[in-house]
Amino acid sequence: MQRAQTRRIRKLDPEEVRRLAPLYRDTCADLSRAQASHYSAALVDYLQALSASAHGVLYSAPAKGRIAQRARAHAHAVWVAFPRAVRRHWRSMAIAFLLFFVPFFGGFVGAWVDPTYAFKIAPEPMLRQLTESYRQGFSTGRDAGQDTFMAGFYVYNNVGIALRCFALGVLGGLGSAVYLVYNGLATGAIMGYVASQGAGDNILTFVVGHSTFELGAIVIAGGAGLSLGWSMVSPGRVTRIASLQAVAKDLVVIVSGAAFMLLLAAMIEGYWSASGLSSTLKRSIGGAFFVTILAYLALVGREAGAEEGAR
Amino acid sequence: MAEPLDTVVVIETPEHIVFRHRVAGPARRAVAYGIDLIVCYGSLIGIALVLSIVVIGGAFGGQEALANVGIGLFLLLLFCAQWVYFVAFETFTGRTPGKKLMGLRVVTTEGRPIGFTHAALRNLLRVADFLPTAYLLGGSFLFLSKRFQRVGDLVGGTLVVVPEKPTVATANVLWPPPHPAELAAIPQNIVLDADERAAIELFVRRRGALGPAREHELAVMIAPGLAARHGLPLTIDPSRFLAILHDRATHAGRKEAVVRDSLPPPSSREAA
Repeated sequence: MQRAQTRRIRKLDPEEVRRLAPLYRDTCADLSRAQASHYSAALVDYLQALSASAHGVLYSAPAKGRIAQRARAHAHAVWVAFPRAVRRHWRSMAIAFLLFFVPFFGGFVGAWVDPTYAFKIAPEPMLRQLTESYRQGFSTGRDAGQDTFMAGFYVYNNVGIALRCFALGVLGGLGSAVYLVYNGLATGAIMGYVASQGAGDNILTFVVGHSTFELGAIVIAGGAGLSLGWSMVSPGRVTRIASLQAVAKDLVVIVSGAAFMLLLAAMIEGYWSASGLSSTLKRSIGGAFFVTILAYLALVGREAGAEEGAR
Repeated sequence: MAEPLDTVVVIETPEHIVFRHRVAGPARRAVAYGIDLIVCYGSLIGIALVLSIVVIGGAFGGQEALANVGIGLFLLLLFCAQWVYFVAFETFTGRTPGKKLMGLRVVTTEGRPIGFTHAALRNLLRVADFLPTAYLLGGSFLFLSKRFQRVGDLVGGTLVVVPEKPTVATANVLWPPPHPAELAAIPQNIVLDADERAAIELFVRRRGALGPAREHELAVMIAPGLAARHGLPLTIDPSRFLAILHDRATHAGRKEAVVRDSLPPPSSREAA
């Protein structure tokens, strides 16, 4: 019974790795014999713990190799998996889109018509200051330090919002819906207010670069949350938990993709959107981003014809 | 057989071996989580201190930009502490430092080590578990679910278990060696069925760890019944009677059952 070394994980030399599987099978055989013929409980416990730990090593998730190596192998799969998963959940995405953009336009128009409306959503001094800074334009750009500060803030704040927006979908989708509506309303009202104060051109120039990534990712994460909630509300022919688990695996891909989009958005928003470049350039690049993302989500991964389970 | 009342989960492997894992209870998990929070935010505070010292030094040199870079980095780290720390540790090692310290491990409901998908789901849904505050939702799910799973565990299909360390049991030695008079009272071949043997063995092994009163109390429960069934007089201490009975039954009259004088006393009996 000196097989205790079977458990000490990884970093084994090849010879030991080779011996691991046969040893494990032997231990299993011993265990079943011990259980069947009621050997002493201590022996059974020992064998059990031994086989449990060996089982943990042998049946690990596939190939815990070097991360870089795996990343390269999976890069294409992930590249294709994200848009496919998004398309598979297109209904939730459409609902999320509406849940975000209807309040968005409501807020925008509301604040445009009556600027004080925006004060109900965000504090007045903050809005005034915001307008001031947009009115000045970006001719000078920001200094590099401030760029990094803002990028860090966007990562912390926006990715956090998106992930929360997804996670709260587990409450029957309600959490995601509330988050979408609230964020849509707030964003719309702030934009509307700034526009009503005559800085509309500038704010458009500012947001056009990153908004595709940022708002797109929030809608996608929210849509994923709605799917999560819906899978529990209407599980079909499996139990609610099983339905949740099955859908959740799909959604992890979507949420990771959305988080990545937001990281990009933070970089753009931090270093590009506030730079002193001409507004024409910013707008055309922003438009190009929009078309690219839309095309990516709509088209990539179709050609393989592997649109399995297109519901 | 009725399902045991213990908090164990039964896992069957492809080899048709069934083994059990002990599921970790809320208390242990809370402590592990507390340790993780301390690790996360403790290091964050440490970094903040270093950054601010650097920045104050820089500010005297008139570099406000440096301060902003510092805050930006800090926010990035805060994000990592909130969202990346748990996922990364559980993906690559199956346990966060706090869980490691408390001897916990996250496995799938099939008893396998978890991967990125599981780790991401159970930790993303942490925010749902946290609701409305202080993990009330997650806590109530923990108590309602059979296997101490919070919402994140249910959706991710994971469990938190306490892996048992394989420990080699020492041989069960009858000590002090049986007196000839004691042996004379019990016939050479006693037949006990498997359950009886297992029960008595567990009792005999734990004898040293029990107080004398408790030992007596437990032994009195079954010793008279067994004695009556085998037609034996129960003249000696019931606990001692069980030990000899077990020794007889497991060694089934073989010689080495009696010759024990050369062996040293096991430490457990010394303590008793």
